[in-house]
Amino acid sequence: MTREQWGGVVSNMIGRGAKISDDEFDEVVNYLGKALPPAQQGGGGAAGAKAAPVHKASLIDQVGADDKQIVDEDAAARGKTVYIAQCITCHGTRARGGERGADLVRSLVVLHDRYGSTIGPYLAQGHPAGKPVALTQEQIVDLSHFLHQQVGDTLRTGPYNNVLNILVGDPNEGKAFFNGAGGCSHCHSTTGDLAHIASKYDPPSLQLKVVFPQDRAVALEGSGSARKPLTVTVTTASGESVTGVPTELDDFNVSLRDASGQYHSFARGPGVKVEKHDPYAAHVALLDEYTDKEIHDVVAYLETLK
Amino acid sequence: MKFLVTIFVALFALAPVPAWSLGHDGGSDGGLDPSVLSRPPVDSWPTYNGDYSGRRFSTLTKINDQNVKSLSLAWMYQLPRNGAAPGGRLAGTPILLNGVMYITSPDKVWALDARTSRELWAYTWTSKGGIHLGNRGVGIFGNALYFETPDCNLVSLNLADGKKRWSQPICDLDQMYYASVAPLVVKNHIITGVSGDDLDRPGFLEAHDPETGALQWHWSVVPKPGEPGSETWPNADAMAHGGGMTWISPTYDPNLNLLYVGTGNPQPVMAAKGREGANLFTTSIVALNADSGKLVWYFQPSPHDTHDWDAVETPVLFDAEMEGKPRKLLAQASRNGWFFVLDRETGKNFVSAPFIKTNWTKGLDAKGQPIPDPAKEPQIAGTLVSPNADGGVNWPPPTYSPATGLFYVNATRSFAIYYIFDDSDKPEGWGGHDLGTWDESMLQALDYRTGKIKWSHKWETSGIEGGLLSTAGNLVFAGDPANNLVALNATTGEPLWHANLGSPLSNGAITYELDGHQYLVVGAGDKLFAFVMN
Repeated sequence: MTREQWGGVVSNMIGRGAKISDDEFDEVVNYLGKALPPAQQGGGGAAGAKAAPVHKASLIDQVGADDKQIVDEDAAARGKTVYIAQCITCHGTRARGGERGADLVRSLVVLHDRYGSTIGPYLAQGHPAGKPVALTQEQIVDLSHFLHQQVGDTLRTGPYNNVLNILVGDPNEGKAFFNGAGGCSHCHSTTGDLAHIASKYDPPSLQLKVVFPQDRAVALEGSGSARKPLTVTVTTASGESVTGVPTELDDFNVSLRDASGQYHSFARGPGVKVEKHDPYAAHVALLDEYTDKEIHDVVAYLETLK
Repeated sequence: MKFLVTIFVALFALAPVPAWSLGHDGGSDGGLDPSVLSRPPVDSWPTYNGDYSGRRFSTLTKINDQNVKSLSLAWMYQLPRNGAAPGGRLAGTPILLNGVMYITSPDKVWALDARTSRELWAYTWTSKGGIHLGNRGVGIFGNALYFETPDCNLVSLNLADGKKRWSQPICDLDQMYYASVAPLVVKNHIITGVSGDDLDRPGFLEAHDPETGALQWHWSVVPKPGEPGSETWPNADAMAHGGGMTWISPTYDPNLNLLYVGTGNPQPVMAAKGREGANLFTTSIVALNADSGKLVWYFQPSPHDTHDWDAVETPVLFDAEMEGKPRKLLAQASRNGWFFVLDRETGKNFVSAPFIKTNWTKGLDAKGQPIPDPAKEPQIAGTLVSPNADGGVNWPPPTYSPATGLFYVNATRSFAIYYIFDDSDKPEGWGGHDLGTWDESMLQALDYRTGKIKWSHKWETSGIEGGLLSTAGNLVFAGDPANNLVALNATTGEPLWHANLGSPLSNGAITYELDGHQYLVVGAGDKLFAFVMN
């Protein structure tokens, strides 16, 4: 995925409880964008970009056996030429099979293979039956790397996991929604805060930013978007009141940092009043109201603000 | 005391199950007779859910709504650290039998003295791989213990000293399965499930011999061509790769001899172009004969799921009045945001009601199953759906209290945009994902007769919530998103007591009586906390 798309994924993880600071966010997203980029353009579909080296830290990298094949990208590239010459007609451009050949990504012969250990003997039996291929041992190993690369590319972190074209809305209807039913223009201005917004974010990031502004969206240049934090106002029994960004908030305690950076901590009780202020309350209210068409329309409209 | 009398009257009025009568749990030789799993746990917590019913309800009342504020910490046990790294995460339910507690993390089992937390033995399995996300705990039969490993083995240890008896492969790592389920002991069967949804493989449930590990039966979640359910798939290839993992321990009715298991989402997960149809028996609640593994009935909470909403949430069994008659019921709060109550003899539906507001259905079919709205399946340009892929609730266990007649679920209301990433004719793997999220979390108490929300306690923040436990002391114990273990009044939802454990509850709390005192034990991160009423 692109850096921007990884930004969406990492925001998602933060939304679901991952403890990642804003500084770490930029670092992580930049790393992922470099280490796990989208499929190369014009790559013919079959072979993706070089995958990141195996890191056991990630759950997806723990998938399968410890002795699973480590794909050698150069060998896989050579294996791709073997595949195109000998296999693609029956097994398809992405090795997912077709009417004439089995799905090799799901093949047990491939999944059990290590560096040609099962693919080699399988081919040696004579495959396909009418016109058996004759491959050298080196070609079998290369083909094995290519096929394991296809299996890896099928997984959730593979290079094909990208948002496709989302610009399906009607900009004119989006403009009408922005200024009318959506209520967007109550807070936003296309010549003010949203001027040139389309040149700051790619369309998928912009769509996420419209619907979930409390998540981090990643701009095309520079770091993640600034977010307005939730704030709380705590009023004690004596009538003293303090407002700031909460550091803890549950049924029993509330703590916050005020604008000067001062930390305040309170035990909650009958005399202690806590008010929450969500800067994105208007966006949250829209979640139950939006149609998908309205979302796509308003994004199409914002995309005109280059 | 009037309160306690009321509770017990309610208990026996609502749960008149002869097989679940009260009694002493542990065998005299230190082992476990599985027949004790048919009644509520008292001086033990001998299986994942405490007993076969999945209610996670305790009849104990020494900790109650009047005195819960006096709970004190008896001990805290931290998993041994692995160099500089934490020693794992207690994602399972602890098992307590004859004063010994058994806990797990992936590849590891520890036996602790439940009075002191002193380690009696530790066992480490040498792993050949697999996803080390979490292990749900052990099963016990006689003097043997059983657990699953990430590299697809069922391992049996001596209860007394942790020495390995045998191991038996139960899935194939190369097909990207892994194993994490707490095995369930039913008669002379060790019931095992499998995990993993990265590559398109079929899910299954198996029974193994307690003495040798040999396979007794294998039930495939997806049918073969010509078998019942095959009409809900377009072709043999889609079926053979159709998913439906069995992530969570089943429940069991000894009188009907039926196992109840929730099955996982179909595969490919989000891009469903290659699997038109309802995709039975994925995202289903199924009843299987415990001796043969044969399907008796099914109910499908999410026909043709495309949102990763597996239906593995515990199918909870209880006997109670419904539509004017005493019934044998099964209830599930499913990941898709809906609550279902069924007749567990027949699968007949009594209640289908959302426990959070959702936007993905077009009503109910004749069986009471939600009809998915095709417009809310993942789209190339994205579609806004509630709930997100984490669901209205996830695998952490719910609880049902026969004392209040309420089913409790630690729920999340959420939205995400679901995208198709793979628009080819043959998507595989996930082929899409949900992105972005907004959510809010709340503990819901549902009237089992209607699914209506009796009370809802909204947590102040959203995020990871833990599993639940209810007791005849008019209490519900829950995790909140701020790492608190919270005791709430089971009737009103009022929070009464809490302890911040520093990490989210990683499963549900258990309770039992030891030396005349009631204990409450819960795992959070790499720590196990034991509270006691002195």
